[in-house]
This record gives sequence, C-alpha cells and structure tokens, in this order.
Amino acid sequence: MGAQFDIQYVFEYFVKLLPFIQISLFIVASSIVLGLLFGLLAALPRLYRVPVLQRLSQLYASFFRGTPILIQLFLLYYGLPEVLKLVHIDITRLPVLVFVILVYGLHSGAYVSEGIRAAVSAVDRGQVEAAYAVGMNGFQAFTRIVFPQAIAIAVPILANLVIATLKDTSLAFTLGVMELTGKSQTLATMSRHFIESYIALAAVYFILSIALERLFLLAERRMLKHERDTGKTEKVPLGKKWLKKRTNAAIALSKGGTGA
Amino acid sequence: MSLDFSFIWTAFVSLLTAVPTTLKITAVSVLCGFAIGTAIALCRMYRVPVLHRIAAAYVTVIRGTPMLTHLLILYFAIPLIVDGLAERFDWAIRSAQIPMIGFAYLSFSITAGAYLSEVVRSGLLAVSKGQMEAAHAVGMTTPQALRRIVFPQAFAAALPNLTNSVIGMLHGSTLAFTVSVVDINAQAEIVATTNWKFFEAYLAAALLFWGMTVLIERLSALLERRVTRYSRGGVA
Repeated sequence: MGAQFDIQYVFEYFVKLLPFIQISLFIVASSIVLGLLFGLLAALPRLYRVPVLQRLSQLYASFFRGTPILIQLFLLYYGLPEVLKLVHIDITRLPVLVFVILVYGLHSGAYVSEGIRAAVSAVDRGQVEAAYAVGMNGFQAFTRIVFPQAIAIAVPILANLVIATLKDTSLAFTLGVMELTGKSQTLATMSRHFIESYIALAAVYFILSIALERLFLLAERRMLKHERDTGKTEKVPLGKKWLKKRTNAAIALSKGGTGA
Repeated sequence: MSLDFSFIWTAFVSLLTAVPTTLKITAVSVLCGFAIGTAIALCRMYRVPVLHRIAAAYVTVIRGTPMLTHLLILYFAIPLIVDGLAERFDWAIRSAQIPMIGFAYLSFSITAGAYLSEVVRSGLLAVSKGQMEAAHAVGMTTPQALRRIVFPQAFAAALPNLTNSVIGMLHGSTLAFTVSVVDINAQAEIVATTNWKFFEAYLAAALLFWGMTVLIERLSALLERRVTRYSRGGVA
C-alpha cells in the first residue's frame, strides 16, 4: 500500500501543511460568524415565543443537528443551485468554498441557537425584572443586561463549537476544497507516504485545537471578571460550578431568560 | 433538470439496504467505546499510577484531532504493522484479509472511547460521595458498590450526554465511506451517481438520518424516565 514508514516525512509534511492552516481557519472563522448570525436569528423566535417562526427555527435546529455534516455538505452543494434555479438565480459558478462556509455556518448556527437558549435561560430571571424595574424596555434589557451575562456563560459552549467546527472542516475535502486534509492527501499521493502525511495532519489539528482551547480559557476568565470582583473567596468556585452545570434548555427556559 | 419527488422515495428505499451497516458501525463503536471509556474514566478517577497519565494523553490527543484522521492513520498503519509482524513471525494472515469494515469498527471505537470516557467521568462525578461511603458502611466491596450503587445512578446522570455521543457516532459513521464501506452515505452517492440525481438521493439520506436521530432521542427520553425513577422526589 504505502512505502516504509519514515519519520522524516512527518516533519517535512508538517511544514508543508502549515500554509494551509489559514484556509482551514478561514472556513472556521467565517462559518462561526455566519453561525452566530443564524443562531441568534433562530434563537430569538424561540426565546420570545413568536408563533410560527418558533416552529420553523425548531425545525431548522432539529434538521441541522439531526443529520451528519457530510450529508449536509452534499445536500446543499447539489441541492441549493437546483432550488435556486426554480426562482431563476444561477449560482452554479460560485466557488465551492462559499457552499462549504454556508453549510458549516448553518450547521453551527443550529448549535449556536441551542447554546444561546441555554445561556439566556441561565441568566437569572431577576436580572430582567430589575432591568424592567429601572425603566428599560425589552430590547434594552436584552442588549444591556441579559446579553452580556449570557455571552460569558456561552463562552465554553462557543469554545466547544469552534473546536468541533475546526475538526469538521476536515470533511471539506470531499467537495474538493484544498484545506489541510485535502492537501495532506495530495502530498501523500505523490510520495506514497500516507501514514506520515496523516500523522502530520493530526499533529496540525491537535496543535490548533489546543491553542484554541487555551485562547477561549483566557477569554472566559476575562469575561467572568464581574463574578470574581464581589466576594473573592466564595464566588470563584460557585461561578465555576455554575458554568459546568449542563442546563437542559427546554426545562430551564421556563425558569428564566427574556421570554416566558 | 428539475426536482423529481418520486425519485426521493425510490432513493429512500434503496438506502434502506445500507441501514444495517450504519447501525452496525454505530453499535460496535459505541459499545466498544463505552468499555474503553469506562476503563479510562476509572483509571483517571482512581489515579492508577502510570495508566492515568496515558489515559489522559489518549483522551486529549483523540479529542483534539478529527475523527477522519484517526480512520485514515489506522487504515494505512494497520496493514503495515500486521504485514510486518506476519512476515517476521511467519503468520498466515495478511492485511488484505482484514475486511474494510474492521478498520471502521476499530478506528471509531477508539474515537468513541475518548469521548465516552468524558461522559462516564462526568456521570460518575455526579454521584455524591456519600453513596459510596454508605455502600462501604453496609459492607460492600468497592467493585460491588460501583456495580450496584454508583453505576446505575451514574448512568442516569450521564444518559443525556450518552445520547449525544450515540448520535455523534451515528453521524460520524458517514466517514466510513473513505475506507470503501457502503454505509448510508456511500449508498446515497452510488444511487446519486447511477441515476444522476444528486439532490434527491442526498435529501433521502438526510431524511433517513434525521428520522434515526429523532428516534434515538425519543428512545433516550423514554429510557431516561425509567432510569431516573429513583430520584423523582415527592412521597408517592
């Protein structure tokens, strides 16, 4: 199958893969930005219980969480141009990367919407009531009081999502995008040193995910500063426990948040 | 070319032939992964001298790299190792005899093991320490206490995460197409390319996966009601 194992190739391919980190990270970054947008749009109708839109966003989240990302990639890549052809929009000439980013955006959007729901529900209901009491309207209460607190809670969820998306980008090669995985395959086909190439690939992904994890840990500490300032000894463990608690969004929603 | 609705049904029916393969990969990887995960979680909780460091490294490395890379590395590494050993020790087996699906089983079990170890660990940590102490107090040994007292409660606590992992592995099994295993995804590609109807075939595959995911979620909700019966509170 392959040639004899030669550790030299691992280092060689590792270096050759480095320039392709940026395209993988570009896919991750743009799809997370898109996902945050889709997620917020999908979460709001459910938080405020908007009649029909609530069902639609439920359906959206269920579909994109209930099907494998690989199937979604193929489905949108082949399906979207055909659907849009019905309304006479031709997108067949768009680069593949656009489809890939759109799919990852929609996919992460479904998870973001669930995350936002859980995070908003985790903000104490009293916070919203207090905001109303000092005369804010619903929009102000959400943007000034609930959202900043929810963001801090959502950071670990977001961190997981970003790392999961990074690992998912390894599937973009199926549509022919030249990112890390795609490159590692073309590198190996020339020399037949497959294992070395894939070990280098795994190392690159590993370093990237560890780096991202560290970054998010720093961000989390920074954002939870407001928790620590009051009552230093007591609040720190409490804040952490509260973070690690897995909130069941469906149950927790009735207990707090902006809606209900 | 326009949408052919009747073909979605045709594709759906032909996809059903690949459902057992997908389910087999999912079941094997979850079951083996659960065994690996439990062993690792126990190693890490009881801080078994050398093993817990290895276990921690295993979990970090596997969780830090995509599932696809595990499959690809094993797919190329195992034949090399097996053939190397077979030549040295004059074994009769050769790597070509290993069925393709074996690579999927092995690689996905290793992947699932790392993810499930975290699930098991969080489940075990959710059981309060007093339960273990009470079990010791009534004279149970540690294995007895683990089996009779801690595991049932940990299972109930871990069930939502466990369900997510099962669904994750179900979705992950689509990667098996890279080692030429005909699962639902590969079957969809075959149906799509032979009929030149890509959208319909993948739509059928998506609906099939969606249905299976919803089914797993429902079943887990039923099971959850059953296993959390002990902690429902109240008096009746």
